Amino acid sequence: MAELSLQHIDKVYDNNVQAVFDFNLDVKDGELIVLVGPSGCGKSTTLRMVAGLEDITKGHLFLDGKDITQSPAKDRDMAMVFQNYALYGHMTIYENMAFSLTLRKENPNVIHKKVLAAAEILDLTSQLNKKPAQLSGGQRQRVAMGRSIVRNPKVFLFDEPLSNLDAKLRGATRREILLLHKRLQATMLYVTHDQTEALTLADRIVCMSMGYVQQVGTPLELYDSPANIFVASFIGLPPMNLFDVKVTGDELVGAGFTAALTDEEKKLLLPYQGKEIVLGVRPENFEEGPGIPVTITTNENLGMNTLAYGNIGGVSGMKVCAKLKGWIDYKHGQNVQFTIKRKHLFDKETTNAIR
Amino acid sequence: MNENEERLIQRDRMRFIKNSLSANLAILAIVFNVLYFVSIYRSNVGTFYYNYLMGISVVYNLIFMLATFLSSEGVKNYKKNYSYLLVALGIGQIIRIFILPAKAHGAIVAVGDAMTTVMGDKQYVSLLVYLIISAVCLIAAAVTNYIKCSMLEAHMKTLTEGSV
Repeated sequence: MAELSLQHIDKVYDNNVQAVFDFNLDVKDGELIVLVGPSGCGKSTTLRMVAGLEDITKGHLFLDGKDITQSPAKDRDMAMVFQNYALYGHMTIYENMAFSLTLRKENPNVIHKKVLAAAEILDLTSQLNKKPAQLSGGQRQRVAMGRSIVRNPKVFLFDEPLSNLDAKLRGATRREILLLHKRLQATMLYVTHDQTEALTLADRIVCMSMGYVQQVGTPLELYDSPANIFVASFIGLPPMNLFDVKVTGDELVGAGFTAALTDEEKKLLLPYQGKEIVLGVRPENFEEGPGIPVTITTNENLGMNTLAYGNIGGVSGMKVCAKLKGWIDYKHGQNVQFTIKRKHLFDKETTNAIR
Repeated sequence: MNENEERLIQRDRMRFIKNSLSANLAILAIVFNVLYFVSIYRSNVGTFYYNYLMGISVVYNLIFMLATFLSSEGVKNYKKNYSYLLVALGIGQIIRIFILPAKAHGAIVAVGDAMTTVMGDKQYVSLLVYLIISAVCLIAAAVTNYIKCSMLEAHMKTLTEGSV
């Protein structure tokens, strides 16, 4: 398999719109990297530049140490799986999977062995004589993956492969991709806007916004130590609660509440005394107890958890969402108090985490 | 891959690859039949062909093309019985040589004041070639399909018995 290195990559379109700014990433052999971000953040453009489907305006792309910035897509030894499967409707599944190798005029017996092996991995053996129209969305996506596997490429590229599937199938196919990665130990670049996919699949996540890389790290790093307010609010479901607060002595003072600081937090916030910062609290970092007064507006019971939505210090106060353990039936307008178990602190001007 | 393994994979491929050789040979037989059909009435020979044989010939052509096309689809999917139909159609093409072309070859008819030959040697030979090639294609399609079907049947048997 392969190591991939993207160095100072920019993408500027003909209309002078810059989609990607100074993208740097080193992908280790066998690593599954997920590019995540909202629509228009440049993640698909980056993937297409790696595949060779878009020109790289500036910077260099290396595969196993070889500069492939100017190499055409066909010479890059990468396979891409698209959102819309891109299967040939008039061919059987077998023919679809064998197609790229047939074009390369490989020995038909070798092609046969590779197709059967890929079908076995993807549990498609019984579907090989069918046409794509006879398969479900999940099976079609598996065929698209199979078509990549038979080529035995150095790098697999996935461009939102699960977006066309319903929620249940998406979960199942996601697990299949994870199993496939573990089995093949292949280098993979995976683009998605779904943070659940990113958190569950990735060895490392690249979180992007407006063409810039916001943070690169393991799923736990992005969840537990977000680099800035964007990452904090993008990763995690429901998203992190963000409150404007003022650092006053030993506590943070917000609109309608105060929060005591730990000794460590006091040290961190010494330069911010008297200044406004942003306090981030994940919904799951709230628990019932004395602290922030919240007036409940709605609550959603999810079985194991309850999502409580409300406003701090009255109906017109700041909105808050808390994810609490167990089944709790709050009434609309009920006044409760939540304790903060874990705080995330951000500089209000730079939006970066205070560490 | 050793020779045995190669042969085994070749047979196993038939489970997923259509029998395009036999199917294409059958289609080629239709093409040569069309060449025969459009060539035979080419010359100006008055009313020589205007009898019941012409009607039978037209109807047979339609039936032939339909049956051969259906057979080509059948053999594409390794249906053994279509081999028998293809052989019958091939024999039919040979028999046709002795009906219209043989009758018209060398025959002389009056067109206006002049006497003219219905079918010269050149046209006769070309029609013979078309019909013979068509027949050969049909029989070749039938034979290859029969052999492939038998191989596939044997292979499927070994698969179900679990010996592969």
